[in-house]
Amino acid sequence: MIKMRRVLSIFRKEIYHIVRDPFTLIMALVMPVIMVLMFGSAVEFNVQNVATTYIDESKTPSSLTFLNLLGSSKYFQLTSTDNIFSGYKRMEREQAKALIIIPPTFEYDVLGNNTGHIQILLDGTDNTAIGAIGGYIGFVQAKACSEICKITEHSTVKLVPKFLFNPELNSQWFIVPGLAAVVMAILSILLTALTISREWERGSMELLLSTPVRPLEIVVGKIMPYAILGLVSVIVVYIVARTFYSVPFVGSHLVFFCGTILFLFAYLGLGLLVSTVVRNQQAAVQIAMAVGLMPSMLFSGFIFALEHMPFVFKCIATIFPARWYVTIARDQFLKGSSLQDLWLPFTALSISAYFIVQLCVAKFKRTLEQ
Amino acid sequence: MRNIVEVQNLCVKFGDFFAVKDVSFAVTYGEIFGFLGANGAGKTTTIRVICGLTHATSGEVIIAGEHFIKGKEDIIKANVGYMSQRFTLYNDLTIKENLDFAATTHNVSRKDLQRNKSDLFDLIQFNKKESSLVSELPSGIKQQVALVAALIHQPKLVVLDEPTAGVSPVSRAYFWELIRKLTKMNKTVFVTTHYMDEAENCDRIALMRSGELIAIGTVPELKNNTFSTQMYNITPKKPLINDDAESISRLCLLFEPYGIHYHVVLKHDADITSLEDKCYVEKVNPSLEDVFIKLVEGDR
Repeated sequence: MIKMRRVLSIFRKEIYHIVRDPFTLIMALVMPVIMVLMFGSAVEFNVQNVATTYIDESKTPSSLTFLNLLGSSKYFQLTSTDNIFSGYKRMEREQAKALIIIPPTFEYDVLGNNTGHIQILLDGTDNTAIGAIGGYIGFVQAKACSEICKITEHSTVKLVPKFLFNPELNSQWFIVPGLAAVVMAILSILLTALTISREWERGSMELLLSTPVRPLEIVVGKIMPYAILGLVSVIVVYIVARTFYSVPFVGSHLVFFCGTILFLFAYLGLGLLVSTVVRNQQAAVQIAMAVGLMPSMLFSGFIFALEHMPFVFKCIATIFPARWYVTIARDQFLKGSSLQDLWLPFTALSISAYFIVQLCVAKFKRTLEQ
Repeated sequence: MRNIVEVQNLCVKFGDFFAVKDVSFAVTYGEIFGFLGANGAGKTTTIRVICGLTHATSGEVIIAGEHFIKGKEDIIKANVGYMSQRFTLYNDLTIKENLDFAATTHNVSRKDLQRNKSDLFDLIQFNKKESSLVSELPSGIKQQVALVAALIHQPKLVVLDEPTAGVSPVSRAYFWELIRKLTKMNKTVFVTTHYMDEAENCDRIALMRSGELIAIGTVPELKNNTFSTQMYNITPKKPLINDDAESISRLCLLFEPYGIHYHVVLKHDADITSLEDKCYVEKVNPSLEDVFIKLVEGDR
């Protein structure tokens, strides 16, 4: 039978440790802010101002119109170069990501045959940038047809794409909600693993177990403060996301909170598991970072889209709670789906949280009773 | 006399290794029971079983009349106060916070806590502020407060695992004074120590070697049983070279360095004259250290 008085006593002791330990406080309160600011500012999927060099061998009104169209968009930053060799050199020196070559016969070909060719050389070492450049070029090409050849579209089928939930494809809106998963994953695993391995390391766990306190009371009393810290860190991420990056929150706070609680339990359980494997703080930090940080970054869809992963990795990703929590967090910030719509991530998250907590409590109990 | 601890045929096995092998002993109410042995002798494992931290592979442990079986851990743990050598108190907590925590984990009510604390503070003549952080306390005071924490739930048995390790000689002496006072408060003290001068304070002593109990008794009993013949303290007239040491050791049953002297037990008393040629010789009573060396380390 679990005794609340003993649980609260352990809880209170942990609070004293946290309040008097600057490292834990910094981890819980400052790290989320730094991570949100860092990721929010550094990660940008919308490539802009791509350094582009060009050789205009045509020097005709048509080529000028094309170049004006390119230059007037925010996506390209144009500089001219004399010949193909100097242009190639610029790409080698990372001074340009693309080299545009307009041949001398461009205007003649366009106006005479309606088949003007422009060569575009792209820097294949930077996949992200060239993928975006390819998309923008297509857009400019359509405009060029309209302005140079005066071709107006009379097609009966007209595709007009509109982006729902994130109309401007704002990278921060995409990244920052997922950060809550990364921050909580690191914090919950690290702090839980640390607090228990610390007790082992200094021998106080032995003293604690010589009292009538039950292993489950230790687990609950120790986890509670860190669950609260985890929630505080999510609130910090939420506030920074809303104020610094103006990320909208269109969903239900209750749904988001429920997902967060499930995710927290899963990762606090993983922290416990780490603490049963290692009994010194240094090793606990290393394992916690490997178990907490890596999957939440790579297999959660936080940065890399899961849809494009090989089937095996997609399957692996499903066992990580972060994969489901990122879906819930991103959805609640940007889409606002209901609990029914989110039944799959919630069910998966509940199952994984349940099994992880069960496994960890059982393993923790066995370890203590050895 | 009633026993507070009864250990019967205790065996603790880790894999194929016997940490404790068929150990039986009893501790009576109100005595100071010393538990001695070299590192790895099985002392800590036996203590861990008595404190409910390790399960016995076989055998029985009875504490204050209760068998150590599943479901009765709480009753037994309520009768045992444990002070470990590795950890005493949380350094980043105040004295009050540490004691409150120790009391709550033992289910001591708020009212009892105040009364017990006040009694125990009187015992150790404590005059520091309860709001002081433990990290600010000298090691001697810290040990005393740790003793209070181990006693806060008024256990009948106090298990002290090397309680004076790393404490100054003055604090050690004072701590043993406290241990003697505890027995006057009807507490039984089960203590391990590496300091043989301290162990002489025990009413009875058990000696462990390689997981087995090799001797048990009062200090005089152990000395008499171990050394039936006279022990001499010899001081070489000039530094002993190898050959001298070898020729002396051939005459002895025991030849152990003891500071700048040697403690020896001769095979034949008649050999005393040949010893007197090379050394100053005086009769001495064996110390507990001699007993320990003879029994625990003698066969190594």
